[in-house]
Amino acid sequence: MPVVQFTQFSSLVQPTFWHELTRLKLEVLKLSDASVPLTAHYSAGRTIKDRNTGQEVALGCNFTVGSESFDEKHSLPPFAVVAKGIVKNYNTIDEFKNADKRALFSQAADEIWDSIEKDHDASALNRFLLITFADLKKYKYYYWFAFPALVAHPLWDIEDDWKEAKEQFTDKQLLSLHGHLEASTTPYFLVRPAVAGDGVDIAPVEDYTSFFANVPTDSQTIGFFDPSPHPSSPGWPLRNLLAYLRAVHPTTTSTLRVLCWRDTEPAHESGQWKSRFGVLTGGPAEGKPSAVGWEKNPQGKLGARAADLAPMMDPTRLADQAV
Amino acid sequence: MHAIQQQYWAVRDYLSPVLKESKFKEHGRITPEEFVAAGDFLTYKFPVWTWEKGDPSKARDYLPADKQYLVTRGVPCLRRATSLAYTDADEDAERLLSFGDGSAAGGEAEDWVETHAGRQSNADSAANPGSIDDIPDLDGDGAHEDEGLSSAVGNLSLSGAKVPDTPHLDDIPDMEEDLEDDDDAAAAPSKAAPSSNTVIDGSEIEVANGNLLQVRTYDVMITYDKYYQTPRTWLLGYDENRTPLIPAQIFQDVSADHAFKTVTIETFPHSGTLQAASVHPCKHASVMKKLIERMNAGVVEEQKAQRKSGSKDAKKKWMFRRASGNGKDDKPLPDDEDVEGMRVDFYLVVFLKFIASIVPTIEVDSTTAF
Repeated sequence: MPVVQFTQFSSLVQPTFWHELTRLKLEVLKLSDASVPLTAHYSAGRTIKDRNTGQEVALGCNFTVGSESFDEKHSLPPFAVVAKGIVKNYNTIDEFKNADKRALFSQAADEIWDSIEKDHDASALNRFLLITFADLKKYKYYYWFAFPALVAHPLWDIEDDWKEAKEQFTDKQLLSLHGHLEASTTPYFLVRPAVAGDGVDIAPVEDYTSFFANVPTDSQTIGFFDPSPHPSSPGWPLRNLLAYLRAVHPTTTSTLRVLCWRDTEPAHESGQWKSRFGVLTGGPAEGKPSAVGWEKNPQGKLGARAADLAPMMDPTRLADQAV
Repeated sequence: MHAIQQQYWAVRDYLSPVLKESKFKEHGRITPEEFVAAGDFLTYKFPVWTWEKGDPSKARDYLPADKQYLVTRGVPCLRRATSLAYTDADEDAERLLSFGDGSAAGGEAEDWVETHAGRQSNADSAANPGSIDDIPDLDGDGAHEDEGLSSAVGNLSLSGAKVPDTPHLDDIPDMEEDLEDDDDAAAAPSKAAPSSNTVIDGSEIEVANGNLLQVRTYDVMITYDKYYQTPRTWLLGYDENRTPLIPAQIFQDVSADHAFKTVTIETFPHSGTLQAASVHPCKHASVMKKLIERMNAGVVEEQKAQRKSGSKDAKKKWMFRRASGNGKDDKPLPDDEDVEGMRVDFYLVVFLKFIASIVPTIEVDSTTAF
């Protein structure tokens, strides 16, 4: 059986984020490099049809931060999921380079693992870490995201391949699921056929035992909000969800039916649902897994990225653009 | 100079009175209330658009605090507008498309010409987003000056010098570190192999043609411009690595007729510091007036026909439904003598079609999906 491959998050930093970080650095943080809480969001994976070639073009597995990310209670766009994390801004490029990234990363990964092990809490599964250095004079920002994911040993396998969700669910069920998620968009959820009617019931993953108590195993489905646009690889958040289920409910989760939710709009006509479905099998759950997840730079290497905002921020260069 | 100009605009904006009387059909301008109504309709009909409150200290008091401007994020842009330049050879590629469903008003199906069918982009590389030459000042007199200007504009090159400043990636400290011990077999390769799938990764597309297609995304904002009394569009772009675009790159996505004239980089009014590309609204009112006149004629006709027949035409387009409707209520129109024509709620829908002509490759006009 093929190994399940996951699409990693791609960070998308809106310029407003750098403006806000600049303000924060100058007015609040000053020389402090303490970590600041940050709220990012991601939404469903999207593809767009290229009108010239008719091909579907994937639009990236975006993980977005903006100026509002510093405000913990900001409102989200519809069908977006919150991820909590921290940003650590260093004062010099050398401090940024020499930061103990291994320690920072394992700290974040430990937080995820502790919330699983100790609290059986799924709300910290999509934690992230961001380190930055802001070269304010040159309007240049260096940054590096980490999205810690717990590694399963052995890896998860998938029976057959990822299929369209409509092969497993009826239109009515998908429509009812869409309604549930529209009312409250959650990153992870459990799905079972509705006790009454044609729809489905959903519940938070923490309710696993009670929610699936009298449900046959072939009607139990694990759902997550999937930022990946690729048909054959689910998004990064699934990794920690699988680790959670494996660690908290080791006896019943060696085979899991997984729904990757990607529909922000109900299908206009039957058969247009974008969500994917697959049956995964995993090995035994033993001890604390290792974690991976530093983002790669555009060259495909593990390394920092840079955003050069001088063309959009530097007054002298903007003057050149003015007509 | 530019800074002074911006100050002047700010003062002018501050001093100009808020438009009170609605006459959007007569002159294409709308009041803030109508902007909110049209925005509500747009966000209701197309949830990709949302209201934002922006920086509270920059809030405009004639708009509700939580409805300062409209935004849609991650709008895809597959090609550069510079690759759409139309030549005679392209006329052969025109196709007639028929959208008529046989039962359209008067029984005649409308044909549309699709141009640029099957074209490959040619001037489509980040390496040559075009240089922006200095445009000579307009002060001066006589035809001689005009001649100089037109030749200068003619010389504007879209494939000229290289952009000096795609982010200096060499400057990034060499930070490749041995941070992750395991070769993570479960991580999908960042560029998924397109072979077996119908969906291909944006960075993968058209490699075969030696012609890398760059999927850019844009955040598009619509604000209300008090001086011109029209909506105003703002663009923030990202390249395929999600790095913010520089102005020269943004101008690649603006049609050549507008790139060096009406689209400029300005301070975004609902943020203290943010700069964004903006379509200057000085001609918006007159263009909108024309567009509205044209559409209004169609709507009035539709409504008249509807009242005459008195029947509920199930095949009505959503555009012609009552704006208050949620798409389902087909209540017959009130029995007054004057048909209402197009309602102001549609203003932004029409506006988006207009903006789509300025930025033809940025798919802002999601309304065509219906």
